[in-house]
Amino acid sequence: MGTSALVELKQVGLAYSSRQDAVLDGVDLALRAGECHLITGATGSGKSTLLGIIAGVVSRPITGELYTQAVVGMVMQDPQVQILRQTVGAEIAFVLENMAVEPSKMLVRVQHALRAVGLWVSLETPVDSLSLGQKYRLMLAAQLVCEPDVLLLDEPWAQLDDLGVVELSAVLKSLLARGIAIVIVEHQPQAFADFYSHCWHLHQGQLSKQASLFAVSQPKRYRPVQCAKQRQLLIEAPAFSLQFTDGNCLFKCAGLQLFSGELVTLVGSNGAGKSTLLKTLLGAQADIVQVPIKVLGKRPKLGGFGQQLMMLFQRPSRQLFETTVLQELCFSLKRFNLPLERATSMLQRLGLSHLSEHSPHTLSYGQQHLIAIASLLCLQPKILLLDDPFAGLDDDYCQQVVALLNEEQQRGCGIVLASHRALPQLQVDRQWQIQAQYLSGGQLEVDQVG
Amino acid sequence: MANKALRFTSRAQRGSSKRYFVIDDPSWCAAALLLVLTLSSSAFFIDQTQLVYLCVVDGMLLLHGCYLRGKLMSLIKLFVVQLLVTCCLYLLMQQSDRMLEGVLAVCRLLLAAIPGWWLAMSCSPERIAEVLNWVMPVKWAFVVAASISLLPFFSREIQEIYAIQRMRGANISAKALRNPRHWPELVHCILVPLLIQLLKLAKQMANAAKLRQFDQRQKTTFWRY
Repeated sequence: MGTSALVELKQVGLAYSSRQDAVLDGVDLALRAGECHLITGATGSGKSTLLGIIAGVVSRPITGELYTQAVVGMVMQDPQVQILRQTVGAEIAFVLENMAVEPSKMLVRVQHALRAVGLWVSLETPVDSLSLGQKYRLMLAAQLVCEPDVLLLDEPWAQLDDLGVVELSAVLKSLLARGIAIVIVEHQPQAFADFYSHCWHLHQGQLSKQASLFAVSQPKRYRPVQCAKQRQLLIEAPAFSLQFTDGNCLFKCAGLQLFSGELVTLVGSNGAGKSTLLKTLLGAQADIVQVPIKVLGKRPKLGGFGQQLMMLFQRPSRQLFETTVLQELCFSLKRFNLPLERATSMLQRLGLSHLSEHSPHTLSYGQQHLIAIASLLCLQPKILLLDDPFAGLDDDYCQQVVALLNEEQQRGCGIVLASHRALPQLQVDRQWQIQAQYLSGGQLEVDQVG
Repeated sequence: MANKALRFTSRAQRGSSKRYFVIDDPSWCAAALLLVLTLSSSAFFIDQTQLVYLCVVDGMLLLHGCYLRGKLMSLIKLFVVQLLVTCCLYLLMQQSDRMLEGVLAVCRLLLAAIPGWWLAMSCSPERIAEVLNWVMPVKWAFVVAASISLLPFFSREIQEIYAIQRMRGANISAKALRNPRHWPELVHCILVPLLIQLLKLAKQMANAAKLRQFDQRQKTTFWRY
């Protein structure tokens, strides 16, 4: 082992079963103080598993050698599932409790960690009231409080809005200057391009060094073909405020319109109200003051539009419950009395016919994501609402999703796609932007409508 | 802060986004736990004629819980669903003149649930874990506290999965569920994915705890601020 390496992996391998290919196969990696390693790779390539091995949370036996003489901290992909306490102070102090630190010494360390991540909130703030970006930084503080030598971050870009990424980058730069080694696995490594020291690509279990980021991830331009506008008004609303029944106002809006065949992005930072608006359009948001929105000429009501209105929620794998992929696609077709052949043809379109008899729960994250989208699209809805549909997907899966959306758009489906940043790779008709509690761009200009 | 027996905060201090647990001292938390255990078990054991006293005490806890910004809707829903299911079962399996027994059983269940609801409003899970740690291993105390803090997440997850499956055409609307033929669909569409999510969540939370040195030492300390 090199004298200065904090963590070193030599020929590390891991396989989930003897019948499957190894997830990791002969991985060599050495982490030294002040280094920042970026690791890219396709969805399901084993990036998170590699981090888990370094952090010591993978229970399966590994081959090869792992040397460590460092305190390793890790922030997993989704901050929501890592929260163990209800207030900010208690959450950060959890590790100190486990290390049996004297209660009188906790306060200073907790406050210091909170300041280090730029989170200026009271220690008694309920974790529930923080935005997703703030929760991510809280998780970072919960790791920094035990002063780790190595920090592992699993896909932070997907969880954070642009401001969140800028703030995180500033924190990471200061940590690197303090000599902490950082490993970031990411589909969008360009976001951290200005301070990485090593770049790796994980493919078929092998970790290979890359000369630069752009050798790994070529920026792709998705160019859906513009369809002829048929101009059927699908969603309309005069000026309204979207506010909760407890009086908390999310944003105001001068009006909303969505026409058939339109692809609109709904962009706003974490906590701006994107998901709430989409659920309101679906009629699934109960705790808001009634808004004068009409969807397909009716007031939104959950289950009131049949197959004409569909929404892809965040973490779409939650909707999967059938025993085979084919049954999953057929479920809604049966309920709405639609031809079951659509399920098989949809699987053919996606090139997933070979998985039709597999359990959806055994598929990879990207495949589950595609199946969830496909189960909605084979209903051929008039309106499709998508809440952050590219989260956690690599370029290949993103391309497949874009191709599907393009086909739907050409069919005349009106699509609203929520994201916490603009999507330059996607050619959209309009953008609904939520900024400073105001939604702009909701309506077409008069001359555009004609 | 630790020498304060109880820390009361006014509504104005709490603000719209903040919620404070009114009982912050371990001794008072232990007393609250004992009170809750006594009241909840009383709901099942005391004589019918004494239930009115329990109703009065539970009523006071309800008022205090509401003052602490607890939401009653979940309790009301639990009561209504339980009442409907129990009444249907009594109609199917017993005579209708014994229906009152069923209603009484549901009322006892509600009276047993109210103290637990109040405890969740007034004591933080970490303080409850600290008290439980006096009588049970750290791991068990952590699991109990984590389960309590998971309840809001659990409730949101049920609502979202329900919305997803309703949208996908599942026959699980209140109207559809009047027909017992659709009850298996509720289990199939909601409980199965919910169970899968909870299993995943449990694994992820266990990893999150492990990453923060949980269960590495015999002795632990507690956050007091």
